[in-house]
Amino acid sequence: MLDLIIFYFAAVIAVGAAVMMIMQRNPVASVLYLVVSLVAQAILYVQLNALFVGALLIIIYTGAILVLFLFVIMLLNLRGEHFGGKQSRMGRASKIAITVILFAEMVAIFKQVAIPERIGTQAAAVAEDFGSVEMVASHLFKEYLYPFELTSILLLVAIVGAVVLAKRDKTEKMEDA
Amino acid sequence: MPDYNLRLIIPEIFLFLWALFIIAFDLGTKRKNPKLIGYLTMGGIAATAVLLYLYHGGISFNNMFKSDPLALFFKVIFLGSAFMAVGSSFDIIAQKIKNHRGEFFGLVLFSTVGMMFLASAGELISLYIGLELTTIPLFILAAYYKDDRISVEAGLKYLVIGAFSSAILLYGLSLLYGLSGTTDIVMMKINLALLYLNTNGIGWALLMAIVMVLAGIGFKLALVPFHMWAPDVYQGAPTPITALLSVGSKAAGVVAFMRIFIDGLYGFADAVMFPLDWGNIVAVLAAAAMILGNISALRQKNIKRMLAYSSIAQIGYVMVGMVAVSELGVGSVGYYMFIYLFANMGAFAVATIFNDNTGSDSIASYAGLSKSSPMISAFMAIFLLSLAGIPPLAGFAAKFFVFAAGIQAGYTWLVILALLTAVVSLYYYANVIKMMYFAPDNPTIKLNTPLSANIVLIIGVAGLIIFGVYPEPILNFALDTARVFGF
Repeated sequence: MLDLIIFYFAAVIAVGAAVMMIMQRNPVASVLYLVVSLVAQAILYVQLNALFVGALLIIIYTGAILVLFLFVIMLLNLRGEHFGGKQSRMGRASKIAITVILFAEMVAIFKQVAIPERIGTQAAAVAEDFGSVEMVASHLFKEYLYPFELTSILLLVAIVGAVVLAKRDKTEKMEDA
Repeated sequence: MPDYNLRLIIPEIFLFLWALFIIAFDLGTKRKNPKLIGYLTMGGIAATAVLLYLYHGGISFNNMFKSDPLALFFKVIFLGSAFMAVGSSFDIIAQKIKNHRGEFFGLVLFSTVGMMFLASAGELISLYIGLELTTIPLFILAAYYKDDRISVEAGLKYLVIGAFSSAILLYGLSLLYGLSGTTDIVMMKINLALLYLNTNGIGWALLMAIVMVLAGIGFKLALVPFHMWAPDVYQGAPTPITALLSVGSKAAGVVAFMRIFIDGLYGFADAVMFPLDWGNIVAVLAAAAMILGNISALRQKNIKRMLAYSSIAQIGYVMVGMVAVSELGVGSVGYYMFIYLFANMGAFAVATIFNDNTGSDSIASYAGLSKSSPMISAFMAIFLLSLAGIPPLAGFAAKFFVFAAGIQAGYTWLVILALLTAVVSLYYYANVIKMMYFAPDNPTIKLNTPLSANIVLIIGVAGLIIFGVYPEPILNFALDTARVFGF
């Protein structure tokens, strides 16, 4: 019973904050709503026995990435008026239409798939240590070692690319001096 | 314990380390030897091809890395396109890029490594990471002329569209994982079939997953209606990078499509999941690509935009073979991509040389080129005629096999449409040739080509003529790749 109360509490906050996030014109407020939404989602993950994923969500997304967002927004001094004026009626209508279609598809999917007894095998009880750090680590470093290592190359490429694009060219420097 | 057979990924590891070496070497020599690092890069790609010949065949990392004939065949295409792109970029490196020359070649190699990992992926996560590793270096390379507004715009557009399409693809892949409970593509096929039998229908969810994955890969392939980014990005990016985008990265999308759709989502498409047969969806997209690509190409005045629309149309032809889902279908797609490598890389190499010498990309400025540079004009004519599918060049055989596969699988309407649009395409390809040969002289043009670009052009022409007259070895190799899917 308590589980259910916590679930609804977190779920309502998560969805509500997400809606608030896209309604804001001030980007800083947007990011803060996203933080609230992500914390609520982390609670949902913890309820699903995915303690580690929940912790990652808070540490990495809210702790690191969104703080970075805030820094960028403040450094660039962005305000609501930087994001265009009034939207055209067509633009607004098409956005709403896409949202409704996606939502209807989600409902259709969950009606058809997410009911445990219809899936059969997937409703089986999870293992004792499911979602623990050890379990995640053993999957990551044994079964999925290969894609895990590939991501290291990806990160290296991103670093090289960032240096290439962000570094000022030598010729420019001379002109400046 | 899973088996880690590291021998199989020696070519990829070598190419990755070689990319690091190129960057370090360029820094160590104070960026003084642009030619030397260019040749070192080409040498590294050739050495990787040798290593690929020595170490292939088998499965490693728990089925996640498959070194099968399909992977081998496409890796040859990737290495070929990288080799030709590097070969045709020497003048650009010397003239336009003063800093970060090593990184230019290094990023081309990184992207190639990504394509190679992608071609071997037997599992969704490694497939996705391979795809990202392919495209992220290309975002950076597209924006490499930092002072040129069009190039920066191209890079930014490609980045935004690329990130967006990756998100859609990931959503689709996560739905597939949710439905099947596994990321292994072969296991996925089995689990989806079991799920079907248990629940008597998984229609909507699987349909949505298919549509999302199709959209995600469709963006990478520039398949209509996911093609909007292609002309602008192709025009703005440095020309050798455009060539790499249109051949290497497209071939990577094709192999990803094969792995997911033919391997993972086809086995039971006809009998059990009839309403979800993705063949019809893809056939409609292919038809749209052929019509829109060819008709838009007619009106282009810029050679890079013209080739961009032409490559949108070409991917439509490739998809005709893909929807056949048969031995001939898979084989003809492979053969088509292999021939496309020579023709398209060659055409872009000529465009690069022309731009390096004249600073122009407009088709009108090719007027009278045959008088001042007869060899290059003849080469360009061969590349374009092959793209149009004129015998005895290899482009004809490629189109022939793809259309034969389409008819065999019962897509007669699609093949008729393809034939009609191929006739349209002849007009804009021939238009460039007309400019070069029959337009009045333009005395200012005199093209100087570096040795490396000449090598690229000769490889391109030789490939088109040899494989046009004698297609058997490549065709047999391509048909051999179909065994992967158990046809």
